[in-house]
This record gives sequence, C-alpha cells and structure tokens, in this order.
Amino acid sequence: MNDSERSMEPTSTRVRSERTFARFSAGERWQHALFLLSFMVLLLTGLPQKYRAANWSQYLLSTPERLELIQTIHHIAALILIAETVYHLGRALMRLFQRRLNGAMLPTWQDVRDAYAMLRYLFSLDRNKPSFGKFTFEQKFTYWFFIFGTLIMIGSGLVIWFPITFTRIFPGGIIPAAKLAHSAEAIAAAIFVLMWHSYHVHIERLNLSIFTGRLSEREMHEYHQREYQRLTPEVNESPPGEGA
Amino acid sequence: MTIKRGPHHIKVMLVLSLALLGVMLASGSWQADAAAGPGIQEEACLSCHGDPDLEHTLPDGELLPLFIDANRLADSVHETIGISCDSCHPDIQGYPHPEIEYDNRRELSRAFYLTCRTCHASNYANTLDSIHAEVAVSGELGAPICEDCHGAHYTQLPDKPRALISETCGQCHAEILIEYKQSIHGSALIEQDNHDVPVCTDCHGVHNIQDPRTAQFRIDSPELCAGCHADPERMGKYGYKTDVYSLYSISWHGVDVQVYKANWPTIWHESAVCTDCHSVHNILPASDPNSSVNPSNLLATCQKCHPDAGPNWTGAWTGHNEISLERTPFVFYTEVFYSSFVPFVLILAAGYVFLRIIRGTVERVRRNLP
Repeated sequence: MNDSERSMEPTSTRVRSERTFARFSAGERWQHALFLLSFMVLLLTGLPQKYRAANWSQYLLSTPERLELIQTIHHIAALILIAETVYHLGRALMRLFQRRLNGAMLPTWQDVRDAYAMLRYLFSLDRNKPSFGKFTFEQKFTYWFFIFGTLIMIGSGLVIWFPITFTRIFPGGIIPAAKLAHSAEAIAAAIFVLMWHSYHVHIERLNLSIFTGRLSEREMHEYHQREYQRLTPEVNESPPGEGA
Repeated sequence: MTIKRGPHHIKVMLVLSLALLGVMLASGSWQADAAAGPGIQEEACLSCHGDPDLEHTLPDGELLPLFIDANRLADSVHETIGISCDSCHPDIQGYPHPEIEYDNRRELSRAFYLTCRTCHASNYANTLDSIHAEVAVSGELGAPICEDCHGAHYTQLPDKPRALISETCGQCHAEILIEYKQSIHGSALIEQDNHDVPVCTDCHGVHNIQDPRTAQFRIDSPELCAGCHADPERMGKYGYKTDVYSLYSISWHGVDVQVYKANWPTIWHESAVCTDCHSVHNILPASDPNSSVNPSNLLATCQKCHPDAGPNWTGAWTGHNEISLERTPFVFYTEVFYSSFVPFVLILAAGYVFLRIIRGTVERVRRNLP
C-alpha cells in the first residue's frame, strides 16, 4: 500500500509515482502458480487418457510405456494438487477457528446485488458499471467453481485410482460414477478456464496481480472501487493517474 | 469287352472281374479300361481290398489294414460324384503295387493326404496357415491332416448334421468337447440342432485354425463374439440384447482392449475380454447358477484379475446395461448432474462473457466517438 513505482510519461518530462496496493500474499501467489501448473499438467495428461480411442491420442500414446508414463505424471501432479488443496483448505479452516479468516472470498448478498447491477449494466439499463469490493462476484465465482471442481476431481480421481480400497467402505456403484464425474468435470473445468477465467484475466484486461501480488491505484480505483475507498478514505473522488 | 455293373449281377461280376484281372495283368490293358468309369476300376481294386483280412506289415512292424468296405465307400461324397480309387492313388498302376516306402501308418497318411490338394487346393493352402500345420512342422506328426477330420475313404459332408463338426474336433480335443456340450451353445446345438449357435469352426476357423492362446486372438475375440451377439436378427429370436458389445466397448475394459487392438495387437494385455468373465467353451447364461457371471459367482470371477476386491466390488459392474436409475443410481445422478446442471452453469457463464464482450466493445466505441 505504501510501495511506489516509478514510470515515465512519454509526452512529459514529469516524473509521476503511482501507488500500488497489495492484493495477494506471497503464499497465495505460490498457491496459484502451483495450482496453474498442476492443472495444466493434469489436463494435458488427462485428455489423452479420456480420449484414448481417438487417433490423436493414440499418436501421442504410441506405446504402452508412454501410457504408463503419462499416468505416472498425472498421479504425481495429482498428489501436488491434493497437497495444495489440503494446505489451502486446512489453512482457511485454521484461520476460521482462530477467527482470523478475512472472509473476502466468501459469497455475500452484496454479490447478488452486484451481479444484478452488472446485468442491468450489460443490458444497457444502467449507464455505469457497479463498483466492487476486493473481490468481484465474478472472481468469487471463479474461486468457488475451482474449489468445488477440484474437490470433485480429487474425490473421483482417488476413487478410480484406488477402486478396491474405496469399495471396502462404499458401494461399487461409485466407481463408474467417479469415472464419469472425473471425465466430465475435467472438461467442464477446461471450458470454464478457457472461457471465463481467460476472459477476465486476459481479454477484459491483462491482470497479472496473481503473479505480482499488487494492483495499481488506477486498477484499484476502476475495478475495485469499494475496496479502494475503504483503503483510502483520504482520497475521495478524483481517480488517480488519469488526466492528472 | 464291356461289363455292366448292377446289384443283381454280383456273382457274374465277381467271376468276370477275376477273369478280367487275369487278362489285364497279362495284356497290360488295365489302364485303358480304367478310363471307362469308376465302377470298373473299383471292382478291380475291391476284388482284393474287399477282403476284410487283407493287411500289410509296415517296416516298423505296424499293421496296415487294407480292407475297404464297399458299402461305406459307395456312400462317400466322392464316390457319389464318380471319383474313383486312382484319383487319390495315382501311383498304383496295376498289380503288383509299388513297394510301400513308409515306415509306419502315420508317415503313410501324411504322404497320402497331399493328394487331397489336387482338387481342394485352397482348403489345403489354408491348412498350411493353421496351428495344426505349425505343430506338424515342429515335429508333432500327430497333428491333424485332411483325413483325420474328413476320413480317408468314407468321406462325408463335414457338417451333416452340424453337431458332427464339434464331434470331429472332439476326437482330439475331448475335454473341450465335454465343456462345450454343457454350454448354452453346445447344448442348443446337440439337443435342438440349433443353427444359430457357434460350433468350433465358427470361432476358430475351418482350415486355417489359429492358435487361440495368442495376444492377437485374445484381442480380436470380443469382435468374434459380437459377430453374433450384436446381430439383431440372430439375437432377436431369443430376446437377447444386441448392445452388449457396444456397451462393453465404451467400458473400462472395452476401451483398453480397443486401444490395444488398434495399436499393439500382439502385446499381451490383461484387460478383460468376453471370455474372461463368461468363460470360454463352457459359457452359460447368467441366470444359470453354474455360470461364471451368475451373481453368486461374479465376485470370484472378478477376483481372477482383481484378487483383493471385496464384496462391494461387483456393484461397480454396470452389467452391459445403459445407465439407469434402478440399476446404477450413482452413475445416473452423476450423469444428470453433468448433462443438465453443469452445462446450464457453463452456458450462463458463456452468455455472461458474451454480454461483457459486447458491452465492452460498445463502451470503447462510444468513448472514442467525438
């Protein structure tokens, strides 16, 4: 929040310093990087297994050894993802017990109101975009989609990895169900990332804050106005940076 | 000189044939007469070979019976179309016959069966590609040759009745024949002369019988079963489902097998094929308590490959059935979830992103307008 960056204005000799706001901790950024990496590896090694009957898959998996190899890679990446998920949820639970969970990601009624306002804006019923807090309802939706998706993938993945162990307790019918869920959820997650997440972080604007950990004051003002106002009660109206 | 053949002339014939033989041997005119028809020549041959006690001692000491039963011969497929002795014994040009050069009967048979090739060239060529030929090459002279299955002199149509085929194979493969006879296929064949069930040759081939223990045979076998079990006409008569194969082929086992079939057919793979669960020759309907896929035996059958599987395990098997609430509720609800709720969410999300792109573009254009 008190970090400064220097940038040159090309048309002016004036030096302008811009405030940036901390958004993600180093731990959260690492978690995202690890999630991104394991997600990609799991998807790339999972798709050829899902579509094993297809020609392109058989081209990649040209020997039984290759099939075994990508299954091993898939399992290793899965273990990383499981460890990370346990860490992430465990940490959140711990903080909940310690009453230190900030709860910024928890869905609230405000998100419903924001979504409604956003729809009004999108249908041009409102001229202005609603203002958002630290995390927009879109970002919360992304987060929770991945939380549930990951839990489904881990659960179903473990069932089809250790079917005999699971059927000692659970009915056998969960195995084909897990196989179907693993296969379908993977595709749902892939579509969701490509469509929803990549729109928000690449197309709407390039948002690298999950890697840098920071948002500029201008971005904070434009996309997270309520949070910006909460953090900067001293600045009220004038948007920073622009036309200064 | 001409001799008429007829049942009421037997005595005359016998006398005349003896006389004829004498004349022929003296004059050397035997061959010219043989061309007149099979009857004449056969009379000549049978005049000696009609003796039930006629036999020859081979160099190994084995006795070679030389008796030919005229009645059974007259009944054979060859005789009825006029094929006579010398067609298959072209080396015998009268009496005395050339010396027999074979040490034992098997050697002699293996030499003589080559004469079948003269007329049945393609069948003969097929046998060369068979497991039987293969083991013969490796030194097993007991491996069957034409006459072992078809007979030498008293050749009959091999499939009249159809059950004869299985009996023929059972001469050597006796234990398998016993299993087969008890199976749903074998019992229907033998008890009802059912023509829809497979006999040995339907699955194993006729002359070019392949080794069924190879990886290739194993990986091809589900399609072999599907040849009948996916045929609506054949299955319809008995009210059997025809989607057993298509449902298998999208199952865990089936996909595996298809991949191996397409890419590595010669690499042995354990993923279950039909016969692993349903048994091979002793296939019984699932309702039969002795069937390997009867609910009471299913776990034991699964445990052949999944030795640690517990009693719940068999519930994982969807049993060649479409997903349904009654049979497979877990899969059913998962299916519902992924075919309705998840697509619904994704479509809403896609619509939302679309609206945002449109609105964003409109906004940008508006901002850039003067």
